[in-house]
This record gives sequence, structure tokens and C-alpha cells, in this order.
Amino acid sequence: MNLRAIGCNVESAGVELREKLAFDPVKLARALAELPARYGAEAVVLGTCNRVELYLARADDEAPVHSPLVAEFLGEIHGVSAEDVRPHLYEHADAEAVRHMFRVASGLDSVVVGETQIAGQVKEAFDIAQKAGATGSLMNVLFPTAMRVSKRVRSETKIAEGHVSVSSAAVDYLRPIFDTFTDKTVLVIGAGEMGRLTLNHIRELKPARVLVTNRSPERAASLAMENGGLAIPWDQLDDALVQADIVLSSTGAAEPIVPRKRFDEKVRARRGNRMLVVFDMAVPRDFDPRLHDGDRVSVFNVDDLNRVADQAAAERRKHLPAAEIIISLEVTKFVQDWNRRKDGPLIGQLTAEVDRIREDVLAPLLGRFKGKLSAADLEHIEGAFRSFQNKVLHGPIAALQEASRAGHSGTLREALMKLFGLKG
Amino acid sequence: MTVSPLQGVGYACFGLSYLFAFLLELGRLFWPRAAWRPAGLTWGVIGLTTHTLYLGFNQPTPAAAYGSLLLLAWVLALFYLYGTIHYAKQAWAVFVLPVVMLLVALSFTLFHADTVTPDSDIFHATAWASGARFWGAVHGTLILLAAVGVSVGFLTSVMYLIQARRLRNKVNPGRVVPLLSLERLETMNRRALNLAFPMLTAGLLVGTLLLRHGHDLGDNWFSLKVLSSGGLWLVFLVLVYLRYGANVPPRRLALLSVAAFALMIVALAAAHPFAEGGGAK
Repeated sequence: MNLRAIGCNVESAGVELREKLAFDPVKLARALAELPARYGAEAVVLGTCNRVELYLARADDEAPVHSPLVAEFLGEIHGVSAEDVRPHLYEHADAEAVRHMFRVASGLDSVVVGETQIAGQVKEAFDIAQKAGATGSLMNVLFPTAMRVSKRVRSETKIAEGHVSVSSAAVDYLRPIFDTFTDKTVLVIGAGEMGRLTLNHIRELKPARVLVTNRSPERAASLAMENGGLAIPWDQLDDALVQADIVLSSTGAAEPIVPRKRFDEKVRARRGNRMLVVFDMAVPRDFDPRLHDGDRVSVFNVDDLNRVADQAAAERRKHLPAAEIIISLEVTKFVQDWNRRKDGPLIGQLTAEVDRIREDVLAPLLGRFKGKLSAADLEHIEGAFRSFQNKVLHGPIAALQEASRAGHSGTLREALMKLFGLKG
Repeated sequence: MTVSPLQGVGYACFGLSYLFAFLLELGRLFWPRAAWRPAGLTWGVIGLTTHTLYLGFNQPTPAAAYGSLLLLAWVLALFYLYGTIHYAKQAWAVFVLPVVMLLVALSFTLFHADTVTPDSDIFHATAWASGARFWGAVHGTLILLAAVGVSVGFLTSVMYLIQARRLRNKVNPGRVVPLLSLERLETMNRRALNLAFPMLTAGLLVGTLLLRHGHDLGDNWFSLKVLSSGGLWLVFLVLVYLRYGANVPPRRLALLSVAAFALMIVALAAAHPFAEGGGAK
């Protein structure tokens, strides 16, 4: 195996450099055309907001592509100095490059451990490279294997469980309260960014209606249109609160817009016993926290959601050792399988060559004894020759496989090729 | 009272099977392993099967305290099995099985402590189905169905109170044993109430008429069973009023449902006035 994973990520390079090294479709197409042409290498380029990485594989008997060469290449493509790029690049070789690939695809190398988006990005990077004709025998096996390993890590550990962003953590609080969402009404108060992000997650639950209200009717109408909702005039907030089951509030008001007195007098009785969940994303808060009783009204603020997200992230990190064990097992298996696959043709040639020699020796001998010995005797002689051949070949083949498993079969391969006149 | 060897073995068999199933379910929730669930379900099925066989062999009558408790335990064991299969990820069995085991244990205790002779006709299940005991059978069936409703109401109320407490304290839902949502529990509780109240009303009405016309009443109006049953009916009346006539928080309704279950256990465990009242005229 002659594989290199070379690149930079959030730990090795600042956002300024990563921005400069980002691949747009034009630069990506150029890179995937030039890397195989210039270096005779299979190539896959993985570019996300957190990393830029090149996976390069060359033939075993060729010198590997090292990071200084990649720094020059990246500098040339992106119009930056190679000197500025080189110190920020890391390089993983062979089995370690395989390990890095598996860790990246499984989300173990991500800022948010266990995030699932990266698996899709790895697949997309491979698909683009394959369509561009930049992949070969190694990449065509490595990347699909990485996708399988990624699925295995996620299914056998809890590395991807729980919501780790504040906006998605809101969903965690909704599940113990509501059973179905298709009959629920979501009310969005204000147009804060956090409210919008949370709405995106809650819309995945397919609520029946989205109502939007804002002091600015235009902003309410705009947000309602974006989300297939209905804009409600600001002065009808109480009526909207009566209808709502889930409230996302993120106004910039200096005082609470729903104090306890207002809710008790104008909303509570009209709601009956229906449960209401309020996500108060505003700072200062929009809803009186004393409304929270965990029964009919539940009010969660940004700190509550932050705590859920932080605990989910910490929980994921607990599963890192188990995930690393799976990765190690898969790396070992991949390297062994790859070496076995590489040795296959050589062993086939060797066996065929010795078969040919055996036939050359055996044919005249059997011809000489024809008619003098019985068919059973001739078969016995033939079997003895085959057995002799197998015993002779067992040693070299076993030694080759053992050396392959250990990752240093090059010398033995050369020796076998010279001794038996094989082409390799 | 003569205890047949089969009866003794039966109690031990299903009681211990339910206990094993409960312990395995607890293990599954706190130390998740793939093998816990099938093992727990297996013991649950063994418990239910032996429980069913025991009921089939012995035919305990609902007129006896131990019999009604054992029949109720059997219905709740069915409820446990259904819930465990249907709500695979929820902590279902750890709530239902303790109630099943409590009823079995209570039935076992009363079975041995019962001083009332079971030789009377009313203590034979077959007699309950005969024409002479038709209204007694109707009374028993209605009370048993009501008891199932009360038990389900109790279980969903306990789960509701725990879930509501977690939410009030803003406990991270991802870090605790999963329960059904408040909305689902509230719906189940309402349905249980809707089933139990008419059954209980009709059952008690039939029982009252039987006491009035078919038996020598004596002091039976003030027996523990009659008083606790009447108390249970009143609690249910209040529950129905609070649920449908007043805007009371569901948590308070859940607390009342728990009280109703306690009263029901007293009513079921108390000696039956039909037996104490000297039998039919």
C-alpha cells in the first residue's frame, strides 16, 4: 500500500487559511484532473468547512507523494504561497492514512464528535472523484469501506446519539411531553436567529400549523412565508398563545412580553388542560419563568437547552474508546485484505508456473510407462507429483502472506519474481 | 383450608418468573445489553403461562379476595406483556410488574390466611356462571373490569407524576430511563377512567341489589369491603367531575388516581359480604 492522507483541519489551520484552501467546483475539477496526470496518483479531495484533505495513492514501487509536494500543489491551485500552507499540513501514511479516513468518516475527528454530516461529505467527495476518473483500485475499495465502518461505529456505539446543538436540543424536551406532532400548532414570536434554527428542527416533526407574530408585520409575513406558516398581528398574541402547543420566542424585548399575570388572566383558562411548551430563546427572557410547572406549562430557556446539548456531547465522548477499538479492528482487516488481494495475482502466477514445470516433467514420464502400468498406478504417480509441488510451494506462499500481513512483503515478492521468472 | 401441591407450586412458579422478568428489565434499563430484553420477555411469558395454567386448574372465584386479586394480576400481566412488546424502548415492565407481583403476593397471603370456607357454592367459578348465580357473575365481571381500569389508571398516573416531576426539574430527557409522553399517559389515564367508572357504578349497583334482595344484610352495609368500595366510587365521581367539569391540573388527577388504586386494593382484599352475610336466603 502506498497511500497518503495529507491536509489541514480546524486544529492545524485557522479559518483564514482554510477559507483560502476551500475548493469550489471549478478548482475541484482541475485538482482531480491534474493530480493523477501530474503525480500518477489516485486522488480524492475532501473539503468541508472544518477540513481540506487530499487522499493520494500511488503504485507500490513508486515514491509516495509527500506534504511539501501537496503544499505546492494547493498553493498553485488556490493562488497562495506554498510556504504559508506547508506548516499547517499533516500527513498520514498507509495504515495510518486508512485509520484517519475511517475516523473522519465516523465523525471521530469532527469538532462535534459523532456528527453524521461528515459521512455524507466523504461519500460525495468519493463520488465526484470517481466520476472524474481520479480513483483506482485502492480508493474504490477504501472509501466504500470507510462508509461501512462509519455505519458500524454509529450502530454499535452511542457516538451519534443525542442532540448536541442548542436548537436541536429543544426536540429532546418535546418528546417526553407530546406523543404526536401532526396535530400541534407552533407559534414563533420574534425573528431571532436561535428561534429560526429551532423552528427548522421542530418543522421536521411535521406540526399541523406554524403561526408567526412579530412587532414588525413585514418580518412576521416574511418568516411565515419561508416556513409555510401564517402571520398573526402582534396585538393578537394572547389569542395565538391560546391556540399554540409549542412556542419559540426570541424577541429583543427588554422586559418579559408574557408576564405571569398576563398569562394567567388572558390565556390559561382559555387553554383548558392542554399542555404548552415554551422555548424562550431570548435574553432577557420573554416569558416569566414562574409559569413553568412541568405539567400544563413547561418553559425552557437557552441555559436549559445548552445544558442538554453539553451533556449529550459529553455522553458521546464517553463512547470514543469503543469507537476507536472498532476503527483499529477495521484498519487491521482492511490492510490484511488489501495485501492479500495484492498477493493474489502473484501467487496465481507462481502456481501456474510450477504447474507448467510439473506437466513438462510428468508428461514424458507417464508416456514412457503407458501400457506397462495400470491406470491406478499412473494416477498414483501423478498425485505424488502434485503433492510434492504443494509441499514445495507451501513455504514461499505462507512466507509471502505472513510478510504481507506484517506490511513488508516487497523484498520477498521481488525474490519470488526473480526466482520463478514471474512478471508481478 | 387444604392447599394442594399444585397450587403452592403455581404461586411460586409465576411469582418468581415475574420477579426474574422484573430484575432483567431493570438490568436492561441501567446496564443496556442486547440479551436482557429477550431474557426478560421469556421469563414474563413463562410467568403468564404458569399463571394461566394455575387459573385454569384451580378456577379461583372473584368472590374470594385471593381469587379476585389473582385474576386482576393475570389481566395486568397481559397488560405488561402487551406494553413490553409494544413500547420496546420504554420503562414499561418496571412499573407494571411490581403491581402484578404485589397482587400475587397479596393473593398468596390471603389464600393462606383466609378463614372463610371455600365450600360454599359462591366460591366455585362454575357456580357463578350458572343461572342461579348469574347476577353474581355479572357483578364480579363488572368489578373486575373496573379494577383493570383503576389499575391502568394507577400505573399511568405514577408514570405521569414521575415524567412531570422530571420536566418540572428540567432533567435532561436523554439521561433518564425513558417513559411514555405526558400526552400519551394522560390519554391512557382518561380512557382507563372512562372504562372504570361506568363498570364500577354498574358493578356496585348490581352488588347493592344483590345485598338488598338476596342476602341477610345484618351489619354488612358497614363492612370494610362495602365501605371501601363506596369510598372508591366517590373518589371516582370526584375524578370524573374534576376531569370533565373543572379545570384541574392533570397532576392532581394523577394523585387522585393513585388514591383510588389504594382504596381498590383495600376493597378487593377485604372479606366479601356474600360470604360473611350467611349466604343466600
